[in-house]
Amino acid sequence: MRSFSLIFKQFSRSVLLIACFAFVGTYAYAQGDAVKGEALFKAKCTACHKLDQQVVGPALGKLITDETDDKFLTKWIQNNQALIAAKNPKAVTVFNQFNQANMTVFADLTDGDVANILTYVRTEWKKMSATPAPGTGPAVVVDKGPSKIIILSLLGVIVLAFIVILVLNRVITTLERLLAKNNVTILEEEAVAGESVDRLAFLKKLAKNKKFVFFVLLCGTIFLGVYTFIGLWTTNLHQGYQPVQPIKFPHDLHAGAMKIDCQYCHSGAYKSKNATIPSLNVCMNCHKVISSAFGSKTASVEIHKIYDALGFDPATQKYDTTKAHPVQWIRIHNLPDLAYFNHSQHVKVGKIKCQTCHGPVQEMKEVYQYSPLTMKWCIQCHKRTNVDFKDNAYYANLQQVHDLLKDGKQVTASLMGGIECGKCHY
Amino acid sequence: MDSNKKYWKGLEELNKTPEFVELNKNEFAEPIPIEDILTGGGLTGRTPRRDFLKALGFGVGAVTLAACQPVPVHKSLPYLIKPEEVTPGIPNYYVSTYDGQAILVKTREGRPIKIEGHPNDILAKGGASAQAQASVLDLYDVNRLQGPLKDGSQTGWAQVDDFVVRELLAIQASGKKIAIVSSTVTSPSTLGVIADFVKQFPAAKHINYDAVSYTGIIQANQNSFGKAVLPHYNFDKADIIVSFAADFLGTWISPEEFTRQYVSNRNNKSLESKKMSRHIQFETGMSLTGSNADVRIPIKPSEEGAALIALYNAISGSSLAGKALSNKVAQNAVTIAAKELLAAKGKALVVAGSNDVATQILVNAINSLLGSYGTTIDLDNPSLQYAGNDAEFVEFVNEMKSGAVGAVFFLNANPAYDYYNSKDIADGLKKVRLKVSFATSTDETSSLCNVVAPNHHYLESWGDDNAISGYYTVMQPTINPVYDTRQAEQSLMKWSDNPAKEYYRYVRDNWDKNLLAKGGLSGQSGWETLLQTGFVKETPKAGGSYAFNMSLSAVAQTISDHSTELTAADGKTEMSLYQSPAIRDGKRANNPWLQELPDPVSKVTWDNFAAMAPADMKAKGLQDGDAVKIVANGYTISLPVLSQPGQARGTISVAVGYGRTVVGPVGINVGKNAFPFYSLRNKTFQTSAVATLTSVGENWPLAQTQTHHSIEGRNSIIKEASFTQYLKNPASGTGKEEGHKEYKPDLFWQKHDNPTYDWVMAIDLNACTGCGACVVACSAENNVPVVGKDEVGRRREMHWIRIDRYYSFDDNGTEGGVTREHAIADLNVDQLDHVKVVYQPMLCQHCEHAPCETVCPVLATVHSSEGLNHMAYNRCVGTRYCANNCPYKVRRFNWFNYWNDSRFDNYLNNEHTQLVLNPDVVTRFRGVMEKCSMCIQRIQAGKLKAKIEKRPLKDGEVKMACQQTCSANAIVFGNANDPESEVSKALASERTYYVLEELNVKPGVGYQTKIRNISETEA
Repeated sequence: MRSFSLIFKQFSRSVLLIACFAFVGTYAYAQGDAVKGEALFKAKCTACHKLDQQVVGPALGKLITDETDDKFLTKWIQNNQALIAAKNPKAVTVFNQFNQANMTVFADLTDGDVANILTYVRTEWKKMSATPAPGTGPAVVVDKGPSKIIILSLLGVIVLAFIVILVLNRVITTLERLLAKNNVTILEEEAVAGESVDRLAFLKKLAKNKKFVFFVLLCGTIFLGVYTFIGLWTTNLHQGYQPVQPIKFPHDLHAGAMKIDCQYCHSGAYKSKNATIPSLNVCMNCHKVISSAFGSKTASVEIHKIYDALGFDPATQKYDTTKAHPVQWIRIHNLPDLAYFNHSQHVKVGKIKCQTCHGPVQEMKEVYQYSPLTMKWCIQCHKRTNVDFKDNAYYANLQQVHDLLKDGKQVTASLMGGIECGKCHY
Repeated sequence: MDSNKKYWKGLEELNKTPEFVELNKNEFAEPIPIEDILTGGGLTGRTPRRDFLKALGFGVGAVTLAACQPVPVHKSLPYLIKPEEVTPGIPNYYVSTYDGQAILVKTREGRPIKIEGHPNDILAKGGASAQAQASVLDLYDVNRLQGPLKDGSQTGWAQVDDFVVRELLAIQASGKKIAIVSSTVTSPSTLGVIADFVKQFPAAKHINYDAVSYTGIIQANQNSFGKAVLPHYNFDKADIIVSFAADFLGTWISPEEFTRQYVSNRNNKSLESKKMSRHIQFETGMSLTGSNADVRIPIKPSEEGAALIALYNAISGSSLAGKALSNKVAQNAVTIAAKELLAAKGKALVVAGSNDVATQILVNAINSLLGSYGTTIDLDNPSLQYAGNDAEFVEFVNEMKSGAVGAVFFLNANPAYDYYNSKDIADGLKKVRLKVSFATSTDETSSLCNVVAPNHHYLESWGDDNAISGYYTVMQPTINPVYDTRQAEQSLMKWSDNPAKEYYRYVRDNWDKNLLAKGGLSGQSGWETLLQTGFVKETPKAGGSYAFNMSLSAVAQTISDHSTELTAADGKTEMSLYQSPAIRDGKRANNPWLQELPDPVSKVTWDNFAAMAPADMKAKGLQDGDAVKIVANGYTISLPVLSQPGQARGTISVAVGYGRTVVGPVGINVGKNAFPFYSLRNKTFQTSAVATLTSVGENWPLAQTQTHHSIEGRNSIIKEASFTQYLKNPASGTGKEEGHKEYKPDLFWQKHDNPTYDWVMAIDLNACTGCGACVVACSAENNVPVVGKDEVGRRREMHWIRIDRYYSFDDNGTEGGVTREHAIADLNVDQLDHVKVVYQPMLCQHCEHAPCETVCPVLATVHSSEGLNHMAYNRCVGTRYCANNCPYKVRRFNWFNYWNDSRFDNYLNNEHTQLVLNPDVVTRFRGVMEKCSMCIQRIQAGKLKAKIEKRPLKDGEVKMACQQTCSANAIVFGNANDPESEVSKALASERTYYVLEELNVKPGVGYQTKIRNISETEA
C-alpha cells in the first residue's frame, strides 16, 4: 500500500502533462519568446520534465511538438485539475491513461507565459533533433583511447631499440674476442677468483665475532617481538576495512561533489542510536530523475540496482512490489554487542562532525573504516573533548558542574562520567 | 538499638538444620571440584603427558586459527521503503489492552518487546501484573500453531472455512445445538460478533465458562438484590477489610486494581496523614493477601461458614443458627472483627473468596448491615471481568453427553484440562460432530477437536475490552501476524456470513456507533485520539440503595450443611485449592518467566505442592519434599509436601493451574493437575474437599528459593513497628528513635563525588505486597535468563531483583517477642501457626562503598559518578569474589550460555524467541557476574532525551522497570542530588532505614519500615 501511494504521489505532477500532448489537433502553434520561455521552463518545469527523457513526467520535446491544440495545452498547464473536474473528454482520457496522477497546478502562468514555454520547447527540440546527440556522432571515435597509428609507432620504437641493443652487443663481443686473442683473459680470471675467496673469509670472520652475532640476534629478536606485538595488538582491528558492497555507492560524489548533507540520508544519526542506512525510498527522491551517471547518457548499472531492488521500472515509472528485495549492505563499522554507542548523543548533543570518526567520507570512492574503533580510541576522545554546555538547558541544574566551570576548569566528557564502564557497557 | 526480633525465611533457617548451615556458608551451593582434581585421581589418572601435550597443542592451534578469522561479515538490511513512524533504535509505544486494563506496548523496529502499564489506566494506574508482563513472551512462543489444523494435520484456511460452513449448515438443518464456549468475554465487539453468529444460527448459544469461577457471588447478588453482577469493590474506601479466603491482592477478580486501592490506605502518604486501614484475614493456606494482613487467622475450610455466621450474629445481634465455631482463636478474632467493623460502618468491607452462593448471600447480608453498598461495594458500575455460569456449562456438558450438541467452539477455554470432570468433556466431545478450537497452541481441548483455527496473539489483534462497567479500552495490533493465524472473531464472522467482512471494520463500526460517544469522541479524529489515549470512560452511575431483606435461616442451614460435608473425619485432611499468583488458572503455563517466578509465599518455582502446617508434618513424620498421595472426590495425584507456617492445622492447600499435559515444552508435566479436585455443589464449583493422604515414601525435592541468598545472622534487615508505635513516633522500629548510633561511613573510605546525579531508590515495605510483578518486569527489561527447575534447585536462579519473604513470630504484644537470643529452642510448633510476614524486594543496593568493588581483581565492577555500581561484563573473568563479598547477596553468576545451550531449550534457545530481547541490553555470556544495573539503559536514554530536547531531566521521567510495573507504587527511584525529587522526599521519611547500615557500605536503596495495624490489646 505504502509503495503504491508513493508511486501515486511521485507520478502525480507529471503524467497528466503527457496526456495533453497525446492529442493531436490543429497545428496552431502559439507564437512566443523562446528566451523568456527557457527561463520559465527552467524555473517551473525542470523539476519533473526533460525534453528528451522521461523523468518524473514524460519527455516533453516530441510531445509538445506533435501536439497542435495550444488552447488545450495552455488550459492543461495552467490548471489540469479543473479540466479533469470539468470532464473534458480529452483531459479525462489522458488522466486515466496515466494512472489518474495529478500534475501541479500553475495558476500563476499567464497565457503568454505558456506560449513562451511552448515556443522554447519546440525550438529547443528542433535543435536537439537536428544535431545528433553527443555520444553517437563521429567525435566519439576520436575519444576511444589511443589510435592504432600511435600503438604501431610505439611498437616500432621498441623494435628499433631492440635492434640497437643487439647490434651494440655484437660489437662488445667482437671487441672481447679481440682482447682474448691478446692473452689478457688469464689475468682477469685470477683476479676474480682471488676476490671471491676473500669475501667468504670475511663472512666467516664475522660469524666468529660473538659481539656481532649477539647484535644481529638482538636486532632480530626486537624486530620479531615488535612485529608480533603489533600483530597481536591489532588483532580483530579492522581499520581500513573496505568490503565489496552490493552497490558501489560513491560517497565522494554524493557527499563531496554534490555536497549532500550526511543527515539527508543518515537521518537516524540525529535522533537515534543507529545512524541508519537510508531506505531506498530516500535514494529514489533523487534517482527517480537521475538514472545515469554524471554527464553520461546511458543508464548507470549501479543506479539500476536501486531500481531492481525496488522492483521499479524506469520506462513505465511503475513499482512492482513482488519483485522488490532488500539490498544486503555489508556493515563496515562493527562495534561489538557489549558496547552501546548512540549516534545522537555524539552528533546532535555533542555536535561532533561525522568526519571525526568516519574520516573524510566526502573523499572516499567507497567507504572504509577510518578509525580503529577501539576502546582506547573512544576514551582518548572522551578525555580530550570539552562538553558543549552552550545553549543546552539540560546542564542548567547540574550545580556542581557549574562550580567546576567557575573554577576555570575544563569540563571534559570524562569529567561528566564519560569514561565510566557503565556508560557504554550494559 | 537494633531490633533483636528474629526473622527467618524458612524453617530450615529457623531450626538451623545442618544442610542450611552448610549451604549458607557458601555463596555458591556447589563448589567447583578443584580440590578433587588437585588431590585425588585428577593428576595421576588417565591423562598422561602425551595427551596433555596433544590437548595443549590443539588448544593453542585452535586459538591461533580462531584469531585469524577475517572481518566477520555482518549484513545490514535497511527498509526498502521505511515506514514514517519507525526510526531504527527508537522505541514506539502503542496503547492496547490486557485483561481489560489499558497498557502500553513498547515496540522496537516493529516488534513488541515489553508491556508497560498505562499511566492513566483507571484500574492499576500504570501498574501491570506479572502475567501481563510475561504475556509478550507468549507472542514469540515457537510452540504456537503456525496455521489451521483439521483432524490434527495442517491445512489451509479456505479448506477450514469450507468445511466448517458446510458442517454448520448441516447441523443447523439437523436441529442440533451449537455452543460457543468461552472464558468470560469482556470485549464489546467480540460479544457483538458472537451475537451476530447466534442470530445467523439460532440454535447457537454462548456459554461463559471460567476455570476459576465467580458464579457464587453473581448468583448471590441475584438472590439478594436482583442484580446478577459481580460488584466493583472499592478497597480504597474501606478503613477495615475483613476477608474470608479472598486473595484479592494475588488472584481474586482484579488483583492489580485492588492492590492499588488497598495500598493507598497503607503507604507512606497515608501514614503521614496518620491514617492506615486495617485488614483481618481468615484463610486456610497462607495467601499473598493473608501474608499482608494485619491479623491473619488460620481456619479450616469447614470453619469458614461457622465463622461467617458468628460474624453475622455478632454484627446484627441476632442469633442465626449455625455450627458453633470450635476454633477459639477464630472465635475471638470474629468478635474483635465485628466490633471494629461496626465502628467503621460505611467504611467497612467484608469479602469472601468462596464460590458458594449461600456463603456469598451471608456476606451480602453482613455488608448490607455495615452500609457497604454504595461506598465500598458498587453494584451499579459492576465488574464485568467474570461472568462464568457454572450451571450453564454443566448443563452443556450433559447435553453434549446426550448427543444433543452438534457443534462446539472453544474460545480461550480449555475445559478438557480445567473442568473438574474432564472425562465428561472427552466423552461428550466424541458425540459432537463439529468441534472447533481457537487455541493459539495445541492444548488439552484442541487436541480433541477436529478443527483448530488458531487465534492471533492479542498483540497481533484488533479489539476492545470492558473490564468494569463504563470503562472501555481499545486493543490494536503492534505487529503483523507472525504465523498463518486468524483472529477468532474473524473466523466466526466468516462462518456466520457477517456483512462486515473484516473484524477491524467491525470494531471500528462498533466504536463509531456505540462507544466513542461515551468518551465524548466521534468520527475519524475521535478514533485516532482513542488509539493514542487507549480508552474512554463514562461517568459512573450514581449508586442506588440496596436493602437486604432475605430470610437467612435457609442460607445458614445450607452453609452449615456444607461445613459438615467439609469436616474431615479421622485420618482425613481438609484440602483447599487456590491459584498461585504467577500461574493462576494455568492458561499461561507455557511461559517460562511465570514458571520461574517464585510463588510469593512459598517461594517454590516450577511446581505445585501440598502445603501443610509444620505441626501436621511433624505428626505425620514428613519432611519437605516427601511425596504424598492425595485422594479426594475420586481423583488421585501425588505431590511433594511443603511445610507452610500459617497453614491451618489439619488442612493442605494445593495450587491449581499446574500439571498441563498437552502444552509446549515449558509447561508440560510441571506439577500435577488439581482441578479435578473441584466439585459441583448447589450448581457452583467448590474449591474445598476432604482428602486422604498417604505417604508415597519418596522425596521429590522442590526448587524453592526461600533460603537462597540468605543474609544470615544479621538483625538489621527488616525493621517494623506497629501503627500505634508509629503514631507515637514515626521513626519507631528504625533504630533511630532511641540513641541511634551515628555511623561514619566516610571515615575509612574516600567519599565519592556525584557532581551530576545521585541515583537512589526508596522502597516502602508497607506498600510492597510481594506479588513479584517486578521480578518479571526486570527479566523482560534486562534480558535476565530463565534457568529452569534443575538449576534453581542448585541455587542458580538469575533474577536481578528478588522478593525476600521473612517470617517472624507473633510477639503477643510483648516487647521483643521471640528473639534469636532466647526462646527459639523452647519453641513449640504451635507458634508456627501464627506467623507474621514481611516482604522485602532485594536488589543491588548500589552501595557507595561497595564491598564487591574492592575485591574485584580486574576492576570489572566500579563506582560511577552518578552513585551507581557499574558492572562491565566483558571485563569480568568470573572469579566470583564479588558475590562472596556482597552482604546483600544480589550478584548472580552465569553458569551457562543460556540462549545457546540445548539444556535451556525451553527458553531462549531459538532465533524466534530471541526477538523478545531488549536490544539496548547485552545478553551476558557464560562465566561472568551480573546484577541489577539500576536499568542504566533507561537512565541513559532519559538523559539523552533531555539533552536532545535541551531541557533539564525531569524528576520521575526515568522509571525503573520494577518501579513502573508496581501497582502499589512501593518503589521510588530518582536523583538524591535534587532535594525536591520524589525519592528525596521519600527517603526523608522518618520510617527510612538502610539494610545492614552498620556495615558502613552506604547503600543507595533506602527502605521504609513495615507498619502493622495491630492494637496492643489483641492479637
